Amino acid sequence: MTDSSPSSLGAKVVVASSSDESHPPENIIDGNTQTFWMSTGLFPQEFIIRFPEPTSISAVTVDSHNVKQLRIEKNTSQNASQFEFVTEKDFEHTEGHLQSNTLSLDGSSAIHLRFIITTGYDYFVSVHRVTVQI
Amino acid sequence: MVKLRARCLLVGDAAVGKSALSHVFHSDGTLFQKNYSMTTGVELLVKCVNIPETSDSVELYITDSAGKETLVEACEKMWGEPSLLCLVFDLTSEQSFANCSRWMERVRGHVQGLQVPGVLVGNKSDLSARREVQTAVAQDWAQSQGLDYHETSAREMENCDAPLLSLARTFQSLYQERLENIQNLSPG
Ligand SMILES: Nc1nc2c(ncn2[C@@H]2O[C@H](COP(=O)(O)OP(=O)(O)O)[C@@H](O)[C@H]2O)c(=O)[nH]1
Ligand SMILES: [Mg+2]
Repeated sequence: MTDSSPSSLGAKVVVASSSDESHPPENIIDGNTQTFWMSTGLFPQEFIIRFPEPTSISAVTVDSHNVKQLRIEKNTSQNASQFEFVTEKDFEHTEGHLQSNTLSLDGSSAIHLRFIITTGYDYFVSVHRVTVQI
Repeated sequence: MVKLRARCLLVGDAAVGKSALSHVFHSDGTLFQKNYSMTTGVELLVKCVNIPETSDSVELYITDSAGKETLVEACEKMWGEPSLLCLVFDLTSEQSFANCSRWMERVRGHVQGLQVPGVLVGNKSDLSARREVQTAVAQDWAQSQGLDYHETSAREMENCDAPLLSLARTFQSLYQERLENIQNLSPG
C-alpha cells in the first residue's frame, strides 16, 4: 500500500467551488503541503478529483486547515454527476499547524471523488494536500 | 483577482429602515437575486460589491431578519455560520440605538467566540430635526464593538453604498489576514 499524490496518477481537479488565481485547486493534488487551495467564503465548499480510469482506493489522507466536517462521495461514471455517499468525518480544530485526517474508502472503485466541506471553523478553509492509498 | 462571498446579517429593531435600505441596495441594478422565504420570514439578497482600485469583489448574501420577535427566532437558526453584521438603528429613536447592545449580544451568542466584524448604520439622517442620537455617541459605541459607523438616509438614497463598501473591505482584509496566517502554518 502506497500513498500517492493524485497528480502522479494522472488525476485532475475538475470542479472547485472557489477560486483565487494565486491558490488554485491544482495545489490540492500536487503532493505538497506548502501549496494550498483556499475557499473564498460560505459553505458548503467542494472540489472533485477525476482519475484517468476506475481506481480502487483504500483510503485518502487530507491535510487542511479550519475544516469542521468533510463528506466524500464517488462515482464510476465519465461524468461528474450522480454521486454516491462514501464516508463523512468531523475534523478536530487545530491552531498553528495543519489538520491531517485519513478516511477509509474500503477499496471503493472510483473515477470521480467528490470532497464536500459542509462546515468550517472560520470564514475560510484551506486544503493543502490530498493523497490516496491504492 | 478574487471573488469572495460573505454572509451578512441585517439586524435591528422593527421600523428602523432595514427593508428600505435593502430596497436602495436593489435600486442601482447590481442586485441580482432576491428571495423571500415564507416559512422563515427571512429575505435573502445577493449583492455584488466591487472593491475600488483592485480587481477583487465581494458577493454579500444579506439576510434580512425582520425586527419582529417571532421572526427573529426563525432567523437565529441561521446565525451559526461565520458572518458579517449590518446592525441598523433609527437616528430619531434613542430606544432603537439602546437596543443595539442587545442585538450585538444576541448575534455574539450564536457565533461561538468568533469576532463579528461589520457595520453600525444610523438610518433616517434626513429627519435632522427629530434626531435623538448624536453622531459622536454612535461612533464611540460602534468603535467599542469593532464596527465601522455610517449614517444613511434610505429615503433620500444618501450614503447607502458606504456601509456595503465598508463590509466588503472588511471581508477582503479578513481574507488577506487568514491567507497570511495559513502561509505560516506547519504541516500536521
Ligand atoms: N424619513 C425616513 N424614513 C425612512 C427611512 N428609511 C425607512 N423609513 C421609513 O421607516 C418606516 C419603516 O421602514 P422599514 O424599512 O419597513 O423598516 P424595517 O422594519 O427595519 O424593515 C417606513 O415607513 C419607511 O418609509 C429614511 O431613511 N428616512
Ligand atoms: Mg498542495
